[in-house]
Amino acid sequence: MGEQGRMVVHLPPELSAALGVLAEAMEEFAAAESLSGGVSGKLNLVLDELITNSINYGLQDVAEPRLELRLAGAEGRDVLEAVLEDNGPAFDPFSEAPVPDTTLELDERPIGGLGVMFVKQFTESAGYERIDGLNRITLRIKAGD
Amino acid sequence: MTNKTQLTIRTEQDEKAIILCLAGRVDGTNANVLDEAVREKIDAGQPVLLFDFDELEYISSAGLRVLLLAARRMQAAKGKTLFCGLSEQIAEVFRVSGFDHILPVFGTRSEALATV
Repeated sequence: MGEQGRMVVHLPPELSAALGVLAEAMEEFAAAESLSGGVSGKLNLVLDELITNSINYGLQDVAEPRLELRLAGAEGRDVLEAVLEDNGPAFDPFSEAPVPDTTLELDERPIGGLGVMFVKQFTESAGYERIDGLNRITLRIKAGD
Repeated sequence: MTNKTQLTIRTEQDEKAIILCLAGRVDGTNANVLDEAVREKIDAGQPVLLFDFDELEYISSAGLRVLLLAARRMQAAKGKTLFCGLSEQIAEVFRVSGFDHILPVFGTRSEALATV
């Protein structure tokens, strides 16, 4: 950890390396912030989903792909903040990704869209901004179970 | 530093079912490995497929997609797909995605096998 309660993680633009780096960063962040397994697991999952989308789609045709994660601890408040930025083409996953109907039967269920749904379900808020040629996703997640 | 997320798939043949015991993590880097293992079992004409998640720590939507496709293929072949041993976290992911309504989930392996 650098500055107290804050962490910057540069993610390699290759999926298995990025998810490996994410899992390690999550372990370190969870230890520093005394997070429960449930909270750090949810944070890992939602970031995994967004990073996987970025690498498999957004950054695919970018000459010098950049993907950065910034984590901020609760510092006495009850929410953690995670900011994920990439330099792919503008894409707002929260308005553009399809929302799956979770009440449909097995043979009618669409295959995609679950990742973004997890992000919405497991966070207090999930926002998208396009800033200086970057996609910025800001997540707030409860620090306690 | 571990760059690869690890998934182990062990297969056990029960008299009623083929059991796929997953250990570790399923994510976008290895969901295809799971998909191949599952297809192989379905193509071999197994009537009942039981996923034992007792040692599974983590699954992302990439893994859930494989499970949904497997259950669909099994249903089309008039077979059954069962699940057991979900951790609290994986059970929550099943709830949020609505999978607990469309896939049969049991606490233990013997509870699952008792239904076939």
